[in-house]
Amino acid sequence: MFTHLMLNIEETVSMILFGIGFTTLLLHPNLIKKIIGMNIMDTAVYLFLAAKGYIAGRMVPIMSDGIQDASAYINPVPSGLVLTGIVVSVSTTALMLSLTIRLYERYGSLNLDRILILVKEEGKT
Amino acid sequence: MSFVQNFPFFSIIIAMFSGIVSSVISGKKARNLSLAAIAVTTCMSAAVLAFTWRTGESYTYMMGHFPAPWGNEIRAGVLEGLVALMFGVVMFISVMGGLDHTEKDVEPGKLNLFYIMIDLMLSSLLALVYTNDLFTAYVFVEINTIAGCGLIMIRQWGRSLSAAIRYMVMSSLGSGLFLIGLSLLYDVTGQLLMIPAKEAVAQIAASDTYVIPMLVILAVISVGLAIKSGLYPFHYWIPDTYAYATPTASAILSGLVSKGYIFLLIKILYRVMSPEHLMEGYTLDVLYWFGIAGMMMGSIHAIQEKDTGRMIAYSSVAQIGYIYMGIGLGTLGGTTAAIFHIFSHGATKALLFISAVGLYEASGGERDYLSLRGAGYRNPLAAIGFTVGAMSMVGFPMLSGFISKLLFATSAFENTGKLLPTLIALAVSTTLNAVYFLRLVISLYRPERKKVGGVRRDSWNLRLAVVCFILLNLVLGLFSQPIVRAIGQGLEMFD
Amino acid sequence: MIMLWAVFLPVLAGVLVLALKDMEGNRRVLTAAFTAVLTAEAALVILAVMRGGSVTLWRLTDTITLGFRIDRMGGLFAVLTSVIWLLAGIHSTAYMKHEHDERRFYGFYLIVVGVLSGLDFSADLITMYVFYEMMTLTSLPLVLHELTKEAVFAGLKYLFYSVAGAFLALFGIFFLANICGDLQFAAGGILTPEMAAGKEGILLFAVFAMIVGFGTKAGMFPLHGWLPAAHPVAPAPASAVLSGVITKAGVIAVIRVVYYVVGPAVIRGTWVQTVWMVLTLLTVFMGSVLAYREKVMKKRFAYSTVSQVSYVLFGLSLLQPAAFVGAISHVIFHSVIKDALFLFAGAVIVGTGWTRVEQLRGLGRIMPLTLAFYTLAALALIGIPPASGFVSKWYLAAGALASGTGVFSVAGPVVLLISALLTAGYLLPITIQGYFPGQDFDGREIEERNLAGKEPEPAMLIPIGILALASLLLGCFPGPILRLAQAIAETVF
Repeated sequence: MFTHLMLNIEETVSMILFGIGFTTLLLHPNLIKKIIGMNIMDTAVYLFLAAKGYIAGRMVPIMSDGIQDASAYINPVPSGLVLTGIVVSVSTTALMLSLTIRLYERYGSLNLDRILILVKEEGKT
Repeated sequence: MSFVQNFPFFSIIIAMFSGIVSSVISGKKARNLSLAAIAVTTCMSAAVLAFTWRTGESYTYMMGHFPAPWGNEIRAGVLEGLVALMFGVVMFISVMGGLDHTEKDVEPGKLNLFYIMIDLMLSSLLALVYTNDLFTAYVFVEINTIAGCGLIMIRQWGRSLSAAIRYMVMSSLGSGLFLIGLSLLYDVTGQLLMIPAKEAVAQIAASDTYVIPMLVILAVISVGLAIKSGLYPFHYWIPDTYAYATPTASAILSGLVSKGYIFLLIKILYRVMSPEHLMEGYTLDVLYWFGIAGMMMGSIHAIQEKDTGRMIAYSSVAQIGYIYMGIGLGTLGGTTAAIFHIFSHGATKALLFISAVGLYEASGGERDYLSLRGAGYRNPLAAIGFTVGAMSMVGFPMLSGFISKLLFATSAFENTGKLLPTLIALAVSTTLNAVYFLRLVISLYRPERKKVGGVRRDSWNLRLAVVCFILLNLVLGLFSQPIVRAIGQGLEMFD
Repeated sequence: MIMLWAVFLPVLAGVLVLALKDMEGNRRVLTAAFTAVLTAEAALVILAVMRGGSVTLWRLTDTITLGFRIDRMGGLFAVLTSVIWLLAGIHSTAYMKHEHDERRFYGFYLIVVGVLSGLDFSADLITMYVFYEMMTLTSLPLVLHELTKEAVFAGLKYLFYSVAGAFLALFGIFFLANICGDLQFAAGGILTPEMAAGKEGILLFAVFAMIVGFGTKAGMFPLHGWLPAAHPVAPAPASAVLSGVITKAGVIAVIRVVYYVVGPAVIRGTWVQTVWMVLTLLTVFMGSVLAYREKVMKKRFAYSTVSQVSYVLFGLSLLQPAAFVGAISHVIFHSVIKDALFLFAGAVIVGTGWTRVEQLRGLGRIMPLTLAFYTLAALALIGIPPASGFVSKWYLAAGALASGTGVFSVAGPVVLLISALLTAGYLLPITIQGYFPGQDFDGREIEERNLAGKEPEPAMLIPIGILALASLLLGCFPGPILRLAQAIAETVF
């Protein structure tokens, strides 16, 4: 069991990171930490993908030195996916951050639980 | 290759480009552009539907002519065309109905942002309907989330902002799970396109290996999409989100957005996963029972709710439960019923949200259902719209809700093990629906105790939207057979 | 065509009345038009029933169509409904003078009779369900009419009980629609044992759910709670038709399910029949006891309805021809009698403002003729020969004894007898106290208000008189009704 995990150390680590990120995003009341959690979660997936695409002893999939043989390069698809994924996660993060700023300006707190209470009180008056 | 076959791709790209163009033009122009884009894409979806209906088979559209393992594919059949058409129609009427309120609710100078979000929403919904590639699906899921979040937070209420952040958090969780699920699937199969992935999955199923990883993949993807569409235990972001957004956004979010994810889930379940995995893994059973729990709990929450908007939103939780129950039956009929209910609920819930706005305004902005007392005399058309919507949700014959209930009940007979629970759940949840909807309708028609200020007459576009939605409901209720047949044919050419 | 007119003419007229605001000030035209439409409706229904025939309205799905077909059972109910509706309508033109929102009342009153004829003419279960739901919704404004807190509460209670009942029934309809294909009514049932093979357990459950569900409208235990609340709060003519006719819509729905779709053979001897008999007997007994203890006149009549309609349901639950004949004839007799009673209550309320039973002492000095009509109707309901109630109860008892249902064949008649005694106990004191108030009666109020000898106006008195005399005459000459009921019974068994 343990040897299996050690053999696939990247996957193991990425799953652990995913778990950490997921729980932080779900449970942590602080908005900034939530965003950090989300980024950890996304990064874990990229690590996983990159690890899957890597083939030991091969080159990055950028054509250089005129080597045409596909077997010289690692699998390029996961790298492409990672790049796309990063773009997506950057935009999501930006949106979350802008929302957080709005909420902070309005309620002076980053604690989501507290903000929700304040929102409720605001609604009553 | 026929020219019509380009239309799915065109409609996605038109919607996306109108969003881009909107960022540099004034709000009014952005609005017109957005309406035009929705109208054009809707016509295109209709053309795709007509084309595939005539040829009798679905077709795969290779982006950039790269063949299967590498390229990116769009796939269109009768079902995709129908769903895209329906989404377009509901979206157009919703945007049209909320025009004035949008201008009132959105900060001046930011109007074009709102319509950018609408355009992005449209393009992502169409992409979710048409795409045949898992990673493209993920990207558009995220775009959809961002657009949805934008639509909610454009209204600068405290409640809208907090709803937006909650929506964003839950959606990110869902997308994260979906992403890890498809990464794992890619890891196991080496495919991202749905058809080659299905072949690989079938081989894996035949060789009896990777049993647990496949189960995990299925579970993670299902849960991820279930969170995003608001299935019962993951529903707590729904009420605020739907209730406090601007009317157009409420109608679109409740009527369409969650349905886009559900359609994607159906697609993955039937186009990627093999029947063996579905049956052995109990995934369908889990969805089924969560669906039934949602039907009950959504209605119970709605009964406890006083705020009309939140009541309608909780009713959405119940209706999403219906759809998952249909999927969970795991039969052709069940899926047909679920897809029909996607249409029926889309048309009905948008009608409810749009007409509820007219009622609030006629009651001096109050949203409490007791304060809506007598609103039926102050704003007759909105009240009629609301009544029709409520009757349809309750399952009054000749309206769309009745047909979906009938389809659910009929499909339950294909799965004897789930026959009794389905029928009982339908009966109980219908009664619960009746409790809170009819309570509200009666309140509308009770004579007013005191004179209430407020707008007596809505703008023409809101009234037109209410009339259109009522007609849509009647069409779905009275002419259901062609639609059901089309869904059936679409499902046959689905995988 | 005529049957379509019979359904849609009153609906259109009602909508028109509701839409025309100008009618408000023009009472004479309003009541004249109202009476004319009701008369035309009665004539149309009778014509349509004589013609018979069928018509398909709409194909909802491949197997489900909406349509009308007139058979003897539906025709019987439709004629009964429209005639009683006309009489109560004439009464209401006088009664509603003293009420507010006349126009709204007339409008919905007209719509409901159209919906009810649609229900009676329905060719299949789905159509019937459509009209059944519409009946609930359109009759709701009649209950809500007063708009007092009590009325609104009663209206909501009415609505929720009805809706819950209807959806219990819908559960059954969904089930039957799948195993039977289409749900066209046919005497004796369309279900064959092969259709339900392997699903007998659920089938019985579904049938039971439908009986209880549709039984809600007929005030059957356990979903009877709305009836005593909703009937009395409506204006008296509305109470009359709610109690006398709309409860019968529940009865015809149960008849259609049991005798025209499922077939009596399927549930004979099963737990469904046993539970059904227990429930109806319980309702008969309980309704009578509650009526006996009730002091408010209209509520007493409403509890009496709970009890009497369950006589009918008990007759149906025996699944035996003679009992069936008794049940059908009791439907007619009870409609006539109970309408007479409620219209009497309306006349008393308008004339004196009295609502409680103990206030009615000395009523004989005020309206002796009306009280005489009441007495006739009361005697008929108790079942004293030769008045009509006797005939139906005789058949019910005979049917019970011949039904071979073990303990129920004896328990049934016993409960009916006890209930008849209770009926006498709660109806006759009004007569006795009315004519013979006793030595200690203080007649000052009657003199002070100058009420003595003030019979209600003809528009009220004549319908009461017709109904009261009918309740006697139908008992003396029950031949045609019994023959019709027997003819129906022969087709369904």
